[in-house]
Amino acid sequence: MEWITGAFDYLGGARDEAPPGFPLTLGNWAFWALWWAALTVVIYVFSGQSSKFIYIDF
Amino acid sequence: MIFNSWDYYLLFLIPAAICFRLAGPRVRPWIVFASGSLFFAYFSYTQFGGWVGVACLGIFLWECFVSRFYRVRSWICWLGIAQTVLFLAIFKYRNFLSGLVWPNAAENPLFWKHAFLPLGISFFTFEFIHYAADRYNDRTEQGTVGEYLAFILFFPTMVAGPIKRYQDFLPKLRAVSREWVVDWQRGVTRILSGLVKKFAVADVLTAYTNHLNWADISHAERHILPLWLLAYGIKIYADFSAYSDIAIGSARLFGIRVPENFDWPYLRTNIAEFWRHWHMSLTSWLIDYIYIPLGGSRVENGRVYANILVTMLVSGIWHGAGMNFIVWGLLHGAMLVVRRAWRQFRPLGAEPASQVTLFFSWLLTFVCVNLAWAFFCMDVKTALFFFRRLIIG
Repeated sequence: MEWITGAFDYLGGARDEAPPGFPLTLGNWAFWALWWAALTVVIYVFSGQSSKFIYIDF
Repeated sequence: MIFNSWDYYLLFLIPAAICFRLAGPRVRPWIVFASGSLFFAYFSYTQFGGWVGVACLGIFLWECFVSRFYRVRSWICWLGIAQTVLFLAIFKYRNFLSGLVWPNAAENPLFWKHAFLPLGISFFTFEFIHYAADRYNDRTEQGTVGEYLAFILFFPTMVAGPIKRYQDFLPKLRAVSREWVVDWQRGVTRILSGLVKKFAVADVLTAYTNHLNWADISHAERHILPLWLLAYGIKIYADFSAYSDIAIGSARLFGIRVPENFDWPYLRTNIAEFWRHWHMSLTSWLIDYIYIPLGGSRVENGRVYANILVTMLVSGIWHGAGMNFIVWGLLHGAMLVVRRAWRQFRPLGAEPASQVTLFFSWLLTFVCVNLAWAFFCMDVKTALFFFRRLIIG
């Protein structure tokens, strides 16, 4: 479970080091460019709704 | 709509982060001050109270002025804390507190008809209090005027945290990371991930969480009710952790690391671990400035339990001006007390817990946390009605 959450953290930008055995490094720009494109597509597809962040009113 | 708006990225984040990186060390704090002030003014005007909201920038400037007089063991630190609590009370709790005495708003002489919350008030006031308390206890240096203004007006974390600590922020402001490429790669990735969580998870679940109102609860099939509440539990995590991702990623573009706020809280196997991994910057603030000053765990059991309840009561009140938030905070306090009492009755053994035990511990924690969300998203009457419908039908 730690490896899985570590991998998600790494893919999500929350960690600088990949978990042991993870196949991709920060230097693999082709992968990260594709990953950014995929995230951007998802954001574009779902961005029609408008809403505030919940904690903004706190 | 701030972090999910084009204005934020094109008018503020990208220009400010680039200018900050290119500037010399003496100018950098003033770039943060200027960009933070413009950010506060712009979004206050457009979203939070118009020109009156903008005028609240004066709170930061006044706070900076007063903070220059903070000395170790000086009463002025207490004055600073008192005035900050007063700001919070006036803006956030005035109508709620006066409403306890005069429930009818029309008869309430203290009712503020056009009440609004200055942008980020719950968060920047906690940073003000932290600084005053730590100056009093000689836990942080004063820093320059520019450095303190940069700390309180650092816009990536201004609106909703993470709640920073001055002694952690200052070294990073003074010696900015030179690793442009890594910082921007990680920062942009973090921001994009946060936006995905916000748009593709949190906002999608709004269609279900909007049903958490009296009318819809009264007409819904019973088996749907827990699904709506679960949707809220996932939504609030996705929404707030998304905000934190964007804030932390934005700070990374400046080369500044701010505290993490979430570390997979829903995977934790007890309520204490949950709070050590949910809204972590708030939890550590509450521990340092409420729990420990009350005596923490170094007093006899009864007082420890009371300290926990008071701390979580403060947490509840901080989250909102309403009885439901007080109930929510006390529920979590009660869960923490029960957990502590259980651990004293049955201390952890030398052998690690079995997988079955861990699974049921996780399940219990997950269910209790999500049931408690009912009081976070609904008023007390509606939440109790929800549970009545859930249990009795």
